[in-house]
Amino acid sequence: MLISSIYKIPIVILLLSGSLFFLGLYPDISTIIGGVALFLIGMEYMEGGFKAFSGSFLEKILEKFTNTTPKAISTGFFTTALVQSSSLVSIIIISFLSAELISLTSAVGVIFGSNIGTTTTAWLVSLFGLKIKISIYAMPMIIVGIFIPMFLKESSWKGIASILIGLGIIFLGIGYMKEGFEILKEGIDLAQYAMSGYAGIFTYVLVGIIATIVIQSSSATMAIIITALATGQIEYTNALALAIGANLGTTVTAVLAALKSNENGKRLAVAHFIFNMTTGIIAIVFIYQLAELVDYIAMIIGIGIKNYTLKLALFHTIFNVIGVIVVSPFIGTLVAFLNKLFVSKKQSKGKSKYLDDSALGLPSTALSAVIMETKHLYENAFGIIARGLNLKKKNILSSMDLDDVVADLYTSDTIDIDDFYNYWIKGIYGEIIDFSTKAQINMAPEYAEELYKLKLANRDIVEAIKGTKHLQKNLLKYTSGRNRYIKEQYDDIRKSLAKLLRNIHTISTSNEEDVIILLLSKSKIHAERDDIIANGTLDRLIRKGLINNQMATSLMNDSDYAYRISQNLIAMAEVLFIDIDSDLKKLHVDMGISDEEAKSIVQKKDHS
Amino acid sequence: MDIKKFIKSVKSTLGLKGFNQEGKKKSLKELLKKLNRRKKSVTELLKTSLDEKEEKELKEELEIVSLQIKKGKKILYKLYAKK
Repeated sequence: MLISSIYKIPIVILLLSGSLFFLGLYPDISTIIGGVALFLIGMEYMEGGFKAFSGSFLEKILEKFTNTTPKAISTGFFTTALVQSSSLVSIIIISFLSAELISLTSAVGVIFGSNIGTTTTAWLVSLFGLKIKISIYAMPMIIVGIFIPMFLKESSWKGIASILIGLGIIFLGIGYMKEGFEILKEGIDLAQYAMSGYAGIFTYVLVGIIATIVIQSSSATMAIIITALATGQIEYTNALALAIGANLGTTVTAVLAALKSNENGKRLAVAHFIFNMTTGIIAIVFIYQLAELVDYIAMIIGIGIKNYTLKLALFHTIFNVIGVIVVSPFIGTLVAFLNKLFVSKKQSKGKSKYLDDSALGLPSTALSAVIMETKHLYENAFGIIARGLNLKKKNILSSMDLDDVVADLYTSDTIDIDDFYNYWIKGIYGEIIDFSTKAQINMAPEYAEELYKLKLANRDIVEAIKGTKHLQKNLLKYTSGRNRYIKEQYDDIRKSLAKLLRNIHTISTSNEEDVIILLLSKSKIHAERDDIIANGTLDRLIRKGLINNQMATSLMNDSDYAYRISQNLIAMAEVLFIDIDSDLKKLHVDMGISDEEAKSIVQKKDHS
Repeated sequence: MDIKKFIKSVKSTLGLKGFNQEGKKKSLKELLKKLNRRKKSVTELLKTSLDEKEEKELKEELEIVSLQIKKGKKILYKLYAKK
């Protein structure tokens, strides 16, 4: 490995020196490529800025407004137009799909809309990029962007600063591209290579595809096409073909990136590919009719007949809109095909379902993935705890009277909780911790704090299982024994934990704040009330000689385990089942009943 | 004017100063409304004939809800006092 790297160094140095020598000989080409490089750097800055600035806002929009196909398409369009990055939108969508926050149909809709959204880049470059005076706009943007973080330390301000720097650098890049093409025109006139007819269209489509694959950004390719067109280095019809090529080229980039992705990433990349291929074929076949349509619409909206750059932007938008109109009715068929093409691997119960590296791209999606996976962990834990208490899970989740739930035993044998722990919990728990460690590296403090609480919730789940394991030993022995007093006590423990599991299930499925806050408070009070050492039950049983010393010590220890299981599960529910962005999260801290208050309510009752 | 003062004045001009508090107040009022409705229905239910277990549970619920309403009101007064 090291030796092969050593061999590569001279080759890289040789290539770099060759490129520098070549670029030195041709300063015009060097200026154009430099402009493209600046454009790409600017895009990176803008994407990073939007990530920091929008926080969870962008994700919230993408999650909430995608339930119907028209909504998904519109949301895809607006978000991409706003952040000027279809790759950022794709990252969020793939992570949402992995976390099952949106359906594949909605995701495909967003990607379609996002395709129209990317066409706004061409409008921005044509409208502002070419006309803007760099000294008046671009430079001040960069300067302000550099100074903002010195005074304003919040991440949203840093995001705004990055957006400003990014925009400034993009305009700077466009300026250099334009300058490069103008200098180049004095030497060679590329327009002499213009080709007419379908031969020209196919050739320029191919050039557009190759350029986009090499640059890895259709926006940058579009910027080159527009600046070249503005300086008269390419002809209008050839520019239209290049734009179609850029659209096709971007799907190749997406497919290549998806090879490393999960099934969801692959499904979306193929949907994107099919969409762009269909759109591209339509655009190539009807290119002359579309050009006429562009002229007609341009006349209506007041774009000059010689304003080729704006007409190109209009063409880019029109053929993408047509693509959406043509393909959208077949989204259902497309989704069915994609699901058949990439069949999800059967999930083993002990493997993580939502932790995908694609979710690490944004702190909020990483947090969503950890929340979903912790819920998955709890679901498995619920099964283990129910079995450990010799209860049937379906009975707990039903409205069955708790006395009947306790009477209906899961098994008459012992179950090995360690086995269940190893198969259902250990792997997922490890993966959550590993994923969280990776996620927290670049997290803002507010996200890191939530992630820390989630880690504690995970630990609470694991502790609750361990407690159940200890509890189970005597539970089976005394619930099947002959002493009815000790049996009653162990059944009471089972009943109170069954009630807690039922309450937590209601909390996890309820949207009513008063129900959630009430059940959490009730659960705290019940945990205190059922503590047999505190409520005097144990003393009474010993005093009356109803249980022997061995039973008493077992009951004392097991009651403590049950109390701790309750505490662990309540603490976990407070973190996991109250939406982190909801107002209830803020209010619950102030309005929920504290442990001291729960104790005092129980004491009051005991005295009365 | 230093930068902190400047941001403060911008926030107050744009009405962003008590933005979080306004949101919290609104949610709290909404929650208090729900809790009051629940308190009323539990009180009504307690007037009907119930078995001992049901009565005990409802009384407990009433106690919790009353405590939460009391706490909620206290927070609301504080928020108004801040304003």
